[in-house]
Amino acid sequence: MRQELDEVDLAIIRALQKDARASFAAIARSCNVSVDTISKRFRKIEEKGVVRGTTVLLDPKGFNIDCVASFGIKADFSHVEDIMVALRKMPEIVFSTPTMGCHSIYALAIVRNVTRLSQLKEVIKAHPMVREISASIWVHDILLCPENFDLPSAKGEK
Amino acid sequence: MDNVDLCIIEALCKDARTSFRQIATSLNLSPDTIIDRYNALQEKGVIRGSTIVLNPKAIGYGAMAVFMIDVSPVAAGKTPFDSNQILEALIKMRNIIVATKTVGDHDLLAIGVVKDFQHLFSVRDEIAAVPGVKDMEVSFWSDIKELSPKYFVI
Repeated sequence: MRQELDEVDLAIIRALQKDARASFAAIARSCNVSVDTISKRFRKIEEKGVVRGTTVLLDPKGFNIDCVASFGIKADFSHVEDIMVALRKMPEIVFSTPTMGCHSIYALAIVRNVTRLSQLKEVIKAHPMVREISASIWVHDILLCPENFDLPSAKGEK
Repeated sequence: MDNVDLCIIEALCKDARTSFRQIATSLNLSPDTIIDRYNALQEKGVIRGSTIVLNPKAIGYGAMAVFMIDVSPVAAGKTPFDSNQILEALIKMRNIIVATKTVGDHDLLAIGVVKDFQHLFSVRDEIAAVPGVKDMEVSFWSDIKELSPKYFVI
């Protein structure tokens, strides 16, 4: 459900997109409001469901994870949910979703190395309802830019 | 990395605003130790930064899309297209939140958040306009969840 946000809400989100540990005092100064207002607003946008929380961005390499890859899976429409159930049980599949477009399902795997990726691909391919699977290995230096996420303009703002 | 590092990471993954004092208390260590460890994790590049996790639907984004991009092969006598330059162009685009080079069926990949169909087409057109982009395949989904909050944030 779409929620209305004003300039102060947006200023908080913009600041935290870049650095989730940004001080509320600094945000308050830039908006010319009190620190108390900022912490109240932050709680409010959390309650409204606009913000799910804050987190750190980690580099998989730091955890001996050498391979991030995506799978494009093709299957008959009536089989998509069955395959989704199987994928959700695989701990190395960190994300999977039914899609429209060039695949039936798009999934993301985080695995130790390419050998393990190949094993995982074979397991998925062995599922009787999977018609086709293609893998793309994400080359290191995956660029993440959460602050590219454009925010709506504030209520009443042109 | 030892257990202290992992505890710091775990706490900050759940809530990046957790105070160092709070983490220190839970581990029976001094806040200074936690700050030193945190700085070291950042210097080593294990922690790349921190961000807010938004619910795209609450601010008008209806879908996410993955763009799987093919780069033009080199024409005789021409300089090849630098896929690093294409990658840089991709990550600068509004609403593209993940971009990487890939090995497999395609050369590059970009994941973005889109408002509606019109927006999906305009993002596609913007990617298609980058010199060297030959073709792309697109898959999109509307049931937006968090995309592995540990390593990628949506």
